[in-house]
Amino acid sequence: MEAKIPVDVDALRKEVSAKYREVAVKPDGTYHFHTGRPLAARLGYDSSVVDALPDVAVESFSGVGNPFSPRPLAEDERVVDCGSGAGFDSFIAAGQVGPKGHVIGIDMTEEMLTKSRATATSMGCGNVTFCEGYLEGMPVEDGWADVVISNGVINLCADKKQVFAEIHRVLRPGGRLQFADIANSEPVPESAIQNIDLWTA
Amino acid sequence: MIEDSGFTNVSIGPPVDTFGGAGGEEKARLFGVYGYAFMAHKPG
Repeated sequence: MEAKIPVDVDALRKEVSAKYREVAVKPDGTYHFHTGRPLAARLGYDSSVVDALPDVAVESFSGVGNPFSPRPLAEDERVVDCGSGAGFDSFIAAGQVGPKGHVIGIDMTEEMLTKSRATATSMGCGNVTFCEGYLEGMPVEDGWADVVISNGVINLCADKKQVFAEIHRVLRPGGRLQFADIANSEPVPESAIQNIDLWTA
Repeated sequence: MIEDSGFTNVSIGPPVDTFGGAGGEEKARLFGVYGYAFMAHKPG
């Protein structure tokens, strides 16, 4: 049986993109979530790694957990970062996999892509590529990735079943998914699920 | 849903108070929302 998608997919994408466009260009703004270095510290990232990154690589970070906490990435691994935003997790992944590894960050928001690409150039980070795309149809070859990471983005996708199918497709056999996301322990009313404004609030 | 997509060995880390002290804290508390780290494997 097909899972019912609770909201209009295009409308949700526009709403999410508008919110994160703001985070890209106004990282010091007030949001309903924490951002930047204080958030990274809150989520348990290694401070020595975060401290070594330039402000522009950290300031728009708005994840919800630490996808590296289950297991650090290994040298030479190929990584896809689903919903890479301004690149914070991609840059950490790039450091862990080293120059022979590679990270592909995928995001749908132009301002985030502009920022992450400029930051990669300024850092001389040659093992990261940022691509425009939706997680429901990623521009990555079948079986390319050793690891897929994501941080606080899958919950913002209307068709989660398709997102997981895509992640499964881009992973090699034996590959792994490491992601952070939010989950609720109390039921959310159907009316709230169908209210797009609440998805980003 | 993760296992239904073909993944195995799914593990979930401890909750993180992602929204504590932020504007979204009230709604997060209402629905028991926390951040979690997940790991899952594609069978080899």
